[in-house]
Amino acid sequence: MSRTLKIILTLNLLVLAVLTFAYPHLMVGPGKLIPGHKQLDTDCFACHVAFTGVASPKCASCHKPADIGRLTVSGAPVAKPLTSVAFHQELISQDCVACHSDHAGVKRYHFKGFFDHSLLKKQTSERCQACHKAPADALHQQITGNCSQCHTQQKWTPANFAHDNYFALDRDHSATCVTCHVGNDYSRYTCYGCHEHTQTNIRREHVEEGIRQFNNCVECHRSGNKHDIKGGEGRHGEDREHD
Amino acid sequence: MKSSLWREHVLPFTLLLGLLAAATLAGDYLLHRLNLVWVGRYMGIPGTLLIIGSLYYSARKRKWVSRGDPKSLLTMHEFGTWLGSLMVLIHAGVHFNAILPWLATVAMGVNVVSGMVGKMLLGQSRAHVQGERERFQLRGLSKTEVEQAVFWDAVALGAMTQWRKVHIPIFVVFAVLALGHILSIFLFWGWA
Repeated sequence: MSRTLKIILTLNLLVLAVLTFAYPHLMVGPGKLIPGHKQLDTDCFACHVAFTGVASPKCASCHKPADIGRLTVSGAPVAKPLTSVAFHQELISQDCVACHSDHAGVKRYHFKGFFDHSLLKKQTSERCQACHKAPADALHQQITGNCSQCHTQQKWTPANFAHDNYFALDRDHSATCVTCHVGNDYSRYTCYGCHEHTQTNIRREHVEEGIRQFNNCVECHRSGNKHDIKGGEGRHGEDREHD
Repeated sequence: MKSSLWREHVLPFTLLLGLLAAATLAGDYLLHRLNLVWVGRYMGIPGTLLIIGSLYYSARKRKWVSRGDPKSLLTMHEFGTWLGSLMVLIHAGVHFNAILPWLATVAMGVNVVSGMVGKMLLGQSRAHVQGERERFQLRGLSKTEVEQAVFWDAVALGAMTQWRKVHIPIFVVFAVLALGHILSIFLFWGWA
């Protein structure tokens, strides 16, 4: 390499080095910051700590954990909260980058719209209704207790509601929900939605056996197998009402 | 330029360069299709290590080290830099975020092309032009007539020589820019 070429090369690289320090957001920044952080564009160390990345205490110096979701960094009430309730106060640790990212080039690798419930304090994670509203349908309105009886904290659907605990849906009973739960009212059911079971036939068969109370079918019949009949003769179901 | 020079030297060179571009696009497409974009994010590391490893040939060539068969090392250098460049190109993807790493990528691209020119075109082309000159001289053409006959080949050869000359300087540029990119990652990445 000639001396002139070496000098030109060195000068060019020096110019690039100067540009990198003068315009770090353009030269090394992985994409634009969110609009709210625009004023931090050229101040990398407002959020980053050398060789360890983004430090949560630096985030918290502006975003007070107690105020997140309630007040803006300037102290004004949040006009349009992104979530219906403030929950950052209920987190087990303040690890901001576990959920948040900023630079456009980094956001690409982050999960979108994902919230990890395991980051909540135990007592908070068990009180689903502190953050969520129960669905307004008839099925959910009658249920008390924790949602985790049927749902996981990873996904709302599919729910692990076990229909077999009430009645096994064998191949003769693979009907649509509304066949038995008329109008999608899951607090009630009827077995007479099917032509196989008529009120006259059912009454006759049960009276022949000396069974007088047969309003709540599933109390004795937990499947379509006519030989799989449990006790309960004469008792009327308390938890479910039969049409 | 005679068609034989194109067919025998320029075309294979173009194909190998095209293969690098096609493999880059295919790799990037597959990573996106398989939802494995994050893999591309880390492919810069093995790519860089391959390129660094292939520099052993350069050290051997300059007698900074004495071990290793130069011919085998050259093959390793060519293969390592081609594959390493492919990984770095996939790592770069189509995401334009910062200027410094993109300048490094461009410098790397120029470096690869200049290396391939040196390997695939320059030697053979020089021999080809010299052979043509000798053939015309044997026909009894004057020196001026010979130079006129091989004019376009000579122009192409001159251009190739220039490409070859930039191999080392552009590598220095690539190395410095890549180092800047790597340092910035070390400085700002969340290692903790």
